Amino acid sequence: MSVELKNIHFSYGKVKALNGVSLTLNEGATGLLGPNGAGKSTLLKIMLGFLVPDEGEGRVLGYDLRTEQKFIRQQVGYMPEDECFIPGMDAVTFTAYLGELSGMPRQEAMKRAHEVLFYVGLGESRYRLVDTYSAGMKQRLKLAQALVHDPKLLFLDEPTSNLDPTGRQEILELIGEVASTKNISVLLCSHILADIEAVCDQVVIINKGEIAANGRIQDLKMIDYRLYELKIKGELETFRKELEAAGCRVEETEDRLVKVYTPPDFNHLEIFRVAARNKLQVRQFVRSQTSLEDLFAKVVGVD
Amino acid sequence: MTTIREKGYHHWDGQLIEKRCTFWPITRTGIKLAFQRKYFKFLFASSFFPAVVYAVGIYVSERLEDFKFMAQGAERTIQVNPGFFKSYLSQDFLFFMIILLMALGGAGLISDDFRHKAVQLYFARPITKLDYLLGKAGVVVFFVGLLTLVPGLLLLVIKLLFSGSFKFFLQYPWLILSIIFYSLFLMIFFTSFVLLLSSLSKNRRYVSVLIFAVYFLSDITQGIFNVIFRSPYSALFSIKSNLKQVAAAFFLEKLPYAYPWYLSFLVLIIFCLLSYVVIKRKVRGVEVIR
Repeated sequence: MSVELKNIHFSYGKVKALNGVSLTLNEGATGLLGPNGAGKSTLLKIMLGFLVPDEGEGRVLGYDLRTEQKFIRQQVGYMPEDECFIPGMDAVTFTAYLGELSGMPRQEAMKRAHEVLFYVGLGESRYRLVDTYSAGMKQRLKLAQALVHDPKLLFLDEPTSNLDPTGRQEILELIGEVASTKNISVLLCSHILADIEAVCDQVVIINKGEIAANGRIQDLKMIDYRLYELKIKGELETFRKELEAAGCRVEETEDRLVKVYTPPDFNHLEIFRVAARNKLQVRQFVRSQTSLEDLFAKVVGVD
Repeated sequence: MTTIREKGYHHWDGQLIEKRCTFWPITRTGIKLAFQRKYFKFLFASSFFPAVVYAVGIYVSERLEDFKFMAQGAERTIQVNPGFFKSYLSQDFLFFMIILLMALGGAGLISDDFRHKAVQLYFARPITKLDYLLGKAGVVVFFVGLLTLVPGLLLLVIKLLFSGSFKFFLQYPWLILSIIFYSLFLMIFFTSFVLLLSSLSKNRRYVSVLIFAVYFLSDITQGIFNVIFRSPYSALFSIKSNLKQVAAAFFLEKLPYAYPWYLSFLVLIIFCLLSYVVIKRKVRGVEVIR
């Protein structure tokens, strides 16, 4: 078990950022999802020991959150969301320097820095000043510095931001490889749901400082609801109201596709009955594959 | 023979160690980065000019017979005594060079980390805030020490070597302690001064200007108060005057200003303590607004 949190509370003054978060993360890759201000970054910072929780307890890699932060940071690799570097250094010196600060001997850190820079695809430009790197290269460099000391757990905050589609794909493959075959647990915090779906097998959705959903992505998608996509001719409003009264959620996309999220025990024929009562023509009816986006929208309650 | 490995990620087979001086890599890197700055090496070398002149002074004072033809009356002007060492360690040029070097090589110590959000990279490592600050302080201590402590002790050694006896040492046995402690005092003061200003802005250029501005404005303030009140206490507003007053006390020399030396000492110590409090508040792994 990589992370175990029990009843974590944290406030920024009067603003409650985390409200009784309990969480267990196992080995492998886990996605951390949530809208802006949900408390994702606060949770990451608490796990890293940057912030001390007001209440609750927890362990990261077996080390106590409150008293053994130093050991946690030694074993954890952190890739921050912000573009951060030390000006005036080349990439290999920068990576080796941070490896050394993690506790690696100087020579070993330098040797390892070369290896991880090659791994993240910066081998050819490792002697260039980091100030001159493009945004995408800086993103890779941040991943390299997080990996340099061979951590047991990786916290990745928006790892694919600023990357072009090819670069994004490559980084996701690297993260996927590290998480699946190299015995390194990964906690991936991202707004890009497709990234999480591509890499992670578990997901934690956090909303308003509380855990809204937690578990294997496949299980969550199956259990919580069913999704039907309809094309309808006629006035939607009363149809929507009746279905919502029956416990469904109805959304209309820009191309007039109606998405109906139904509870698991809901009889889909009821949709036809409601349509008939409202004198609507159902021109298309498909049971759709639910995506993480749908799950996210449902638990967070945003369209 | 090295093993040929597959391309991809490999675990590191070494062992992470708990270092005794966690701050040392930060200091070493800071020094290296300072030397990479334009003109820094030239200015650093130039700042040893007074030390060379003083060393020549000691040599001339010991060989007055040889230089009589060109240095008439030198026996009165070049007197190697505690005042000689005090004048080296509290001269305007030395302070100016320290300020200049720090404006060039020390201004970005913390401000660059703020600007490029590198502080979180440090604190994501097993280092404490104290390690970080010690590492940054080490850079200033290194340069100030090289310009004060090292030349101060070398001048003493040169004096002993050229005089060929320990008479001078026995005459002023406390002098070595004065050199060490006053140099340490300068290191502590300039470290607080530079790190405080560096933590006040994210722009190293502003910090460089601020280093000069605070140093010279304190002198100007002294001048203004002196004109208005005609009081020696106006020297308490000047960094340079306070340092000179404390230097005179450390070397048991006549005080340049007619007020107790410990007032200057207190002003500088309070400045250092306040700087520490401000720096500690400013340097954080994350921005937390409560």
